[in-house]
Amino acid sequence: MSEELRMSPRETRGKAGLRRYGMVIDLRRCIGCDACMVACKAEYDVPLGVFRTWVPYRVVGKYPTVKKQFLPRLCNHCDDPPCVRACPVGATYKVEDGGFVLQHYDRCIGCKACMASCPYNARFMLPEHRTRTNITSVVDKCTFCYHRVIQGLVPACVQTCVGRARVFGDMNDPNSEVSQLVARHATQTLRPEQGTKPQVFYIGADRNMTEYGRNIYDASPEQDDERAVFNRNHKV
Amino acid sequence: MLDYNVFHTIAWPGAYAWYFFVIGISVALFFFSALSWFREEFQPLRKSGFYLSFVLLVVGGLLLISDLSQPMRFLNMINPAYLKFDSPLAWGSLNLITFGIASVVYLFFMNKGDDGLAKKAAVIGALLGLGLPIYTGFDLTVHQHRPVWNTPLMPVLFVALSLLSGAAVASFLAKGNEKLMVMLRRFMLWAGGATAAMLISLLGTTAYGGSAAEITFMFMTSGTMGMIFIGLGMLVGLAAPIALLLAPVGRQPMGVMAAGVLLLVGGMALRYAILIGPQIVHTYY
Ligand code: SF4
Ligand code: SF4
Repeated sequence: MSEELRMSPRETRGKAGLRRYGMVIDLRRCIGCDACMVACKAEYDVPLGVFRTWVPYRVVGKYPTVKKQFLPRLCNHCDDPPCVRACPVGATYKVEDGGFVLQHYDRCIGCKACMASCPYNARFMLPEHRTRTNITSVVDKCTFCYHRVIQGLVPACVQTCVGRARVFGDMNDPNSEVSQLVARHATQTLRPEQGTKPQVFYIGADRNMTEYGRNIYDASPEQDDERAVFNRNHKV
Repeated sequence: MLDYNVFHTIAWPGAYAWYFFVIGISVALFFFSALSWFREEFQPLRKSGFYLSFVLLVVGGLLLISDLSQPMRFLNMINPAYLKFDSPLAWGSLNLITFGIASVVYLFFMNKGDDGLAKKAAVIGALLGLGLPIYTGFDLTVHQHRPVWNTPLMPVLFVALSLLSGAAVASFLAKGNEKLMVMLRRFMLWAGGATAAMLISLLGTTAYGGSAAEITFMFMTSGTMGMIFIGLGMLVGLAAPIALLLAPVGRQPMGVMAAGVLLLVGGMALRYAILIGPQIVHTYY
């Protein structure tokens, strides 16, 4: 006898009649060109030092069999998002049809509870001054390009991906490419143990990238240098 | 070999620790003032303790507001159209406001000389006040993915820290009153012992946690954070004052006050380390 799947009230995946957008990132196809990062920066005028999407890499293996492992990152538009739960004023919310986790910029008080609660560092604080927009000093994050998707376009990062590693679509539609990819391949999500039900699925993710590595504590001198520069430019 | 990583800022900066510190003291002083209606020894703290508690409550509120990146929008927190009750922060803001109201009511009846009503307001205020350190800990506990924070110990630990720092400040208000000093010394010893027990078990479970917890343990017990947490917080600010209080000189008012100074240093260091330490590992993820 199968038990009925229990869903949280915010969940949109598996709910009939609702779209549930998700992304599949096929890491076998990612060449680490960072075009997605650039496209995202251009789409939203994302300030220096913060990212809506970013592509860290790690070199794994031993010479001569070394390999660069990439792991493009963005907000997972979780089906059970702790950030939405944490916000005291409803400034971050989940869109019923589509599953986007979005921000009411005019409502956010900047308490950073959402930043503290996101297990994926997907959120960041916008600086006080920006040249082209007056949305400042509030929390921001990836929107899954809501403004593009509602017009029938795919997100900017997906549009630009030269390796076609990023695929976007409706997880509630069994015929969509994302549903098919998830059905046919073994996929990973980030930190599934947190119960957030991420909607960004990876094919071929390396555990060296998806988990905390002990090398964080025993960092290489280069990493320490980079960290020092970062700390100098940010109020940590 | 060079890996490329994007670093992230910690979400809650050190400034929040000052709020934890100030509000913890405020609440404990209110509690001692309320206790004066039931225990004669606390009589000298009834007014002085309460006034300082009230000032610190105002300071704490202002600190909290100034920590927002949009301070003027703090009103959104009490706007019924916006308030969302599944956020612990929403409950915290209501708790803070109701404690403030109870403080004003208490002040009113105390000054009017209506002892019966003042006593009732004191009890209600003390209970609401107890909610504040509980909520401080709860606010950290709910972040399921953070080592150290995500333990049910946090609310209890913050109650103990609040009593510790509050008793330390109260020892300066006691003006050497022998009976009161005896009580405050007891508070310091009990709350200090409880804090020490909680910190030791916290360190143990963190050291043997998953990789994130283990790395957090390393960050919190080494380098600058180790100096703050272990050195200032646990040794100088907790073990030393407990030893001082247990020594013969610790029974003298001067000894209690000296222990109070150390406890205040430790109280701030521990709050800072517990706030910041567990966030470090995540800035690399
Ligand atoms: S990835 Fe983080 S910001 Fe995005 S929905 Fe999940 S918890 Fe919220
Ligand atoms: S920073 Fe803004 S969006 Fe985040 S929890 Fe606070 S009010 Fe909500």
